[in-house]
Amino acid sequence: MTSYLGSKDAVAGLVTMAIGAGVAIAASDYGMGTPRQMGPGFFPVVLGGLMAFVGVLILFGALRDREALPDVPWRPLVVMPLAILAFALLLPRTGLGPAGVVTVLLAGMAQRGRPGVSLWLLAALLVPAVWLLFARLLGVPVPFIAWTF
Amino acid sequence: MGLIESLELGLVTALTLENLFYCFVGVSVGMIVGVLPGIGHLAAISLLMPLTFHVPATAALVMLAGIYYGAQYGGSIASILLNLPGTASSAVICLDGYPMAQKGRAGSALMITTIASFFGSCVAIIVLIFLAPPLARIAMNFQSADYFSMMVLGLVAAGSISQGKPAMGLASMLLGLIIGLVGIDVNSGAMRLTFGMPELMDGVSIIVIAMALFGVTEVIASVGNGFGAGGKSTTVTWGTLMPTRDEWRQTPWPLVRGAAVGTGVGLLPGTGGGSMASFMAYAVEKRASRRPETFGTGNVAGITAPESANNAAAQSAFIPTLTLGIPGDAIMALMLGALLIHGIAPGPRVVTESPDLFWGLVVSFLIGNLMLLILNIPLIQLWVRILQIPYRLLFPAIILLICVGVYSLERSVFDVLLVAGMSAVGFVLMRLGFEAAPLLLGFILGPMLEENLRRSLLLSRGDPMIFLERPVSATFLGLSVLMLAWVLWGVVRPQRPADETTTSKSMRESMK
Repeated sequence: MTSYLGSKDAVAGLVTMAIGAGVAIAASDYGMGTPRQMGPGFFPVVLGGLMAFVGVLILFGALRDREALPDVPWRPLVVMPLAILAFALLLPRTGLGPAGVVTVLLAGMAQRGRPGVSLWLLAALLVPAVWLLFARLLGVPVPFIAWTF
Repeated sequence: MGLIESLELGLVTALTLENLFYCFVGVSVGMIVGVLPGIGHLAAISLLMPLTFHVPATAALVMLAGIYYGAQYGGSIASILLNLPGTASSAVICLDGYPMAQKGRAGSALMITTIASFFGSCVAIIVLIFLAPPLARIAMNFQSADYFSMMVLGLVAAGSISQGKPAMGLASMLLGLIIGLVGIDVNSGAMRLTFGMPELMDGVSIIVIAMALFGVTEVIASVGNGFGAGGKSTTVTWGTLMPTRDEWRQTPWPLVRGAAVGTGVGLLPGTGGGSMASFMAYAVEKRASRRPETFGTGNVAGITAPESANNAAAQSAFIPTLTLGIPGDAIMALMLGALLIHGIAPGPRVVTESPDLFWGLVVSFLIGNLMLLILNIPLIQLWVRILQIPYRLLFPAIILLICVGVYSLERSVFDVLLVAGMSAVGFVLMRLGFEAAPLLLGFILGPMLEENLRRSLLLSRGDPMIFLERPVSATFLGLSVLMLAWVLWGVVRPQRPADETTTSKSMRESMK
């Protein structure tokens, strides 16, 4: 039996409450205005409050339904955003070619092991094709190779 | 403008070379992602949304819509041949489609589902043609208070009729509304929830959200599930494509019933991508059948009705989206996003003020469905081959396309970083039970909701009774309250061990 606070719904409820309360508190500085002339803070405060309330409901529902926290596939969860991060950091410095190859190889490693021949082949074919599509056909000004560190 | 003139205008618009081309691209891409389990049409539409920046509004919508209904055709192929649903809405096709394939009737099942898809779509398109203009006329009389309440109903419905727990759906919807607030408030100029980052001044792009929540998280989940072994090859020979006379005789009524159920369900808000339509059609069919025990063993009606229904729903979902500006599910929210990108305000005015867009899109549905009918059967061998593309090569390509696509929007590295961050956070939230579809709906409707609230209160001099004094608005709010009461009851009601029917349980499982 999972403990109450360690169950999936309890965690979800706490997260919901935290986001709601955080937004409501942050937005209370924006100025509530009057009902006739709503200030910029009115709507976010209401939404944050509602969300915190729904969080309480979820927490309440968790009393009954103690589902265990689901497994998290750590490898793809870490590697996939990392591949995207690498693209964002490399693109302005090396151009689309090297950034694209690194992204494809990194993303490919999200499943298992080191990149195999087929992955290298994919990178070699796909990256130039994507560059041609975006830079030439759609006119997005992005160099294939650059070197500005 | 009369109906004939409208359709003529639509035909002229849809038959331009450009729109025909984008229609073809749309339905082909849709067909491919529909066939491939592991990439949904939402991911595909998000992936191609950056392209819509570079083409006119009509062509963009024609293409995106084509992906959607094209995927409905393709989805059943994997269900029948591999017992793996290509899209969520075709999960129910597995129940009778796969047994048919095991009996050597795969070809005939594919033929029947193609015809059912075409029939269901056509029925819903005809309903769309006749229903949309009068609906838009009625909606023209709506005031901001009515709009506000209608959006509230749409959001509450999307949150509570979700796949998982209703309370989590509502929380996701509220989170979407909150993300929609990020940026400069147009009325006061105040910066809201930007955390001091100037890049967030203009808010978060819908494409960034869609890419992160539908593209990357889906890939992470598929890889995490050890997906990607590649399908076993199943051969379909030409000889088995023709259904037998007995099989033909079982199709007409399921076709009609499925189309009726699908068209109706597609009109409702929050019914999500045709899955509900196909499951309801299956249940209706089983009840109407004289031999319900044969369902699940390869009953022809068991594939005909759901397939007709999910295609009908895919088309009729456009009715509230285009005439009222209220999207029923995440895909329709993306369609509205594409309209907004092109500076077209969604709502009843689209029908009257951009008739070429509206009618061109409607006629393109007919043309696209014809293309699919023609593409589907002769290319069946090609679709079977596509099923064998290894997923481990597919997903790095998807990630690369997401990166380049997001960057191409504004040439902003920040947006790419945002996708990386949102996909990681989004994945964890989804594992906790948050849902992407109501979140996206909230995100799209948030700014409009606030604007209509502000306008209504300004009009009534701050008196909130305006929402109850107008009958239209009061009705919508009343329905929302009923729905919320139902959700609340679900939380506080005494526990019973088996309070879920088998249908809703199997539905939930297959949509995971």
